[in-house]
Amino acid sequence: MTTHYLVLSALLFAIGGVGVLVRRNAIVVFMCVELMLNACNLAFVTFARQNGNLDGQLIAFFVMIVAAAEVVIGLAIIVTIFRTRRSASVDDASLLKY
Amino acid sequence: MELYVPILVLAVLAAGFAVFSVGIAPFTGPKRWNRAKLDAYECGIEPTPQPVGGGRFPLKYMITAMLFIVFDIEIIFLYPWAVAFDRLGVFGLVEMVLFIVTVLVAYAYVWRRRGLDWD
Amino acid sequence: MNGTIEAPTIEYALLAPMLVVFGAAIVGVLVEAFAPRYLRSAIHLPLTLLSLAGAFALAVWQALKGVPTKPAAMGAVAVDGPALFIWGTILVLAFVSVLLIKDEEHFVGSAAALPGSAEEEQSLVERAAHTEVYPLLLFAVGGMLLFPAANDLLVAFVALEVMSLPLYLLCGLARRRRLLSQEAAVKYFLLGAFSSAFFLYGTALLYGYAGSVDLAKINLALGSVGGQDTLLYIGAAMLGVGLLFKIGAAPFQAWKPDVYQGSPTPITALMASGTLVAAFGALLRVFWVGLGGLDWDWRPVFYGVAILTMVVGAILAITQTDIKRMLAYSSIAHGGFLLVGVIATGSAAQNTAALSGLLFYLVAYGFTTVGAFAVVTMVRDAGGEAWHLSRWAGLGKRSPLLAGTFAFFLLAFAGIPLTSGFFGKYAVFQAAVSGGALPLVIVGVVASAVAAFFYVRVIVLMFFSDPAADGPSVVLPSRGTAAVVGIAALATVVLGVFPQPLLDLAHSAAQSLFVR
Repeated sequence: MTTHYLVLSALLFAIGGVGVLVRRNAIVVFMCVELMLNACNLAFVTFARQNGNLDGQLIAFFVMIVAAAEVVIGLAIIVTIFRTRRSASVDDASLLKY
Repeated sequence: MELYVPILVLAVLAAGFAVFSVGIAPFTGPKRWNRAKLDAYECGIEPTPQPVGGGRFPLKYMITAMLFIVFDIEIIFLYPWAVAFDRLGVFGLVEMVLFIVTVLVAYAYVWRRRGLDWD
Repeated sequence: MNGTIEAPTIEYALLAPMLVVFGAAIVGVLVEAFAPRYLRSAIHLPLTLLSLAGAFALAVWQALKGVPTKPAAMGAVAVDGPALFIWGTILVLAFVSVLLIKDEEHFVGSAAALPGSAEEEQSLVERAAHTEVYPLLLFAVGGMLLFPAANDLLVAFVALEVMSLPLYLLCGLARRRRLLSQEAAVKYFLLGAFSSAFFLYGTALLYGYAGSVDLAKINLALGSVGGQDTLLYIGAAMLGVGLLFKIGAAPFQAWKPDVYQGSPTPITALMASGTLVAAFGALLRVFWVGLGGLDWDWRPVFYGVAILTMVVGAILAITQTDIKRMLAYSSIAHGGFLLVGVIATGSAAQNTAALSGLLFYLVAYGFTTVGAFAVVTMVRDAGGEAWHLSRWAGLGKRSPLLAGTFAFFLLAFAGIPLTSGFFGKYAVFQAAVSGGALPLVIVGVVASAVAAFFYVRVIVLMFFSDPAADGPSVVLPSRGTAAVVGIAALATVVLGVFPQPLLDLAHSAAQSLFVR
């Protein structure tokens, strides 16, 4: 019964997606993106089980690596802007518009 | 049942080593107590008094944390390779060495740019 | 447990252009680590330029030797005609952008120093420079090369990230207006990561559908797997979101003006040219090869997206008062024109015509846009580059040559005959007409006319208004910047007057279409 895992993965992805849209703190937004990536991993592993091949499990490794690289870069960028503005709210970053 | 014997042996060895190390330390180690050493161990932060909301960390923790992530996650490729390295042969070995060299380049950069210095 | 696993065959010669670029990037990191500060820049520049030129030579050599008929590296990377053409384009555009970057005035001395702090002063006094810009750029270019050649979705995802991650950082490194630059980096990063998560979930669903992430196998499964259409459609849609985001197609265009405005201008030039070319290559490969059997389903969606993108890009550009934002909206509109070509599929001959039109358009637009941003770097006032359009008033009277060149680039954007932009649009629209997308072409022509309005408005502003007394000065360009403007202007003229050789080249590259 792999369906439950797929439903869970879709739910996690949706929670992450909604989080990105409604949360205000850049770090939390970023954590929501990571949640989406992990939802993808769950889907990959589940489909690997369903399809009876190992590709999905292997892809999950690559996704973890990419997610780690993204964390490093993302935190560097967010910390830089936090130090400048003393705020990590995405609402405060509003110089670029129109 | 016999399959589990090595695991059992490993468990006994591990437990024995732990008991041995802790047991022998009071007799062989130097004894220079101070307050920090008598505190409960909590990876570098003060366990009490616990600040509200976990407190703030100095920013320099971030570099350490990021380096940890990068070098920790590289292990993920070593595990599958280690499981099948005899069957992957020379090709696998060469590719793995190339991969590790690439990560070492990043390490060299961090080291030379004093990312590993605490102060 | 004992059978040896057969080593995969990897055609290193085919992958050589990418390997050269990535290798140079890694050497660049070592230079950063071990070379003394005063030598770094002197080593980086030749290293970067030589590796890009070498990679270009290798790609040309490969193209002359004959285009392989099946994907390389166990089906992971397809080095076919279109891929080689796109590689050549990206490498040349990256080379030109590096000439622009060479002028280090654009980048911050110490990214970690707070804006306005004593630390920042100190870094300026010491003439500190982030020479990491060069290796980061090479990594990004390597990702751009891999992205359009990726023949399976995992490689495409990794390439997408290798391309994007260095660009996120580069966006935040502007020397002046650092708050804007940092804000651009945060926005680009958060939205880019969000969209790549969509790309990845789409990949997961297609993997669930087809049992493989290989594009050819996914296409094969389209005919044979039944009863799982939900997976297929949602997966294809999510892949589309990820790819259209990178192109900046409406409704995923919101990041583009902000990021283009805030980034250091040479990086904007690279993103507007190289990233767009790479993303279009990948979009074409994913949808033509991987989901080619589904074209009846995705074509109407792209139809709508193309119309929306052209209209949004052209109309919002009119309201802009900032030159970089205006060029960003112009880039969005051009993305829309290019999407017209993506839809024009049909018979093999039709596909070749559409593909060769797109390839030509990408080259033409890439050169013109790099040239336009190079001009932007030269018009400066006290606070750095003068972005506000009102500051450009009367520029034609002060420095007619520069204003004339910029006007020429704008006319090429508008697609006026005798510029490269005209033949690009013509080739794409012609393919679309013969592909039966006449209404789309009509929207495209109308959008071009609207777009021409705001290009001409800038020209009028430059030549027929009086210059402000305290107007911006045009700096004497460094050799690099002057070379970039010259090359871009030359390419725009030559492709506008003698387009045939490049059209023929694009046609022969597109002849065999994408390998499967």
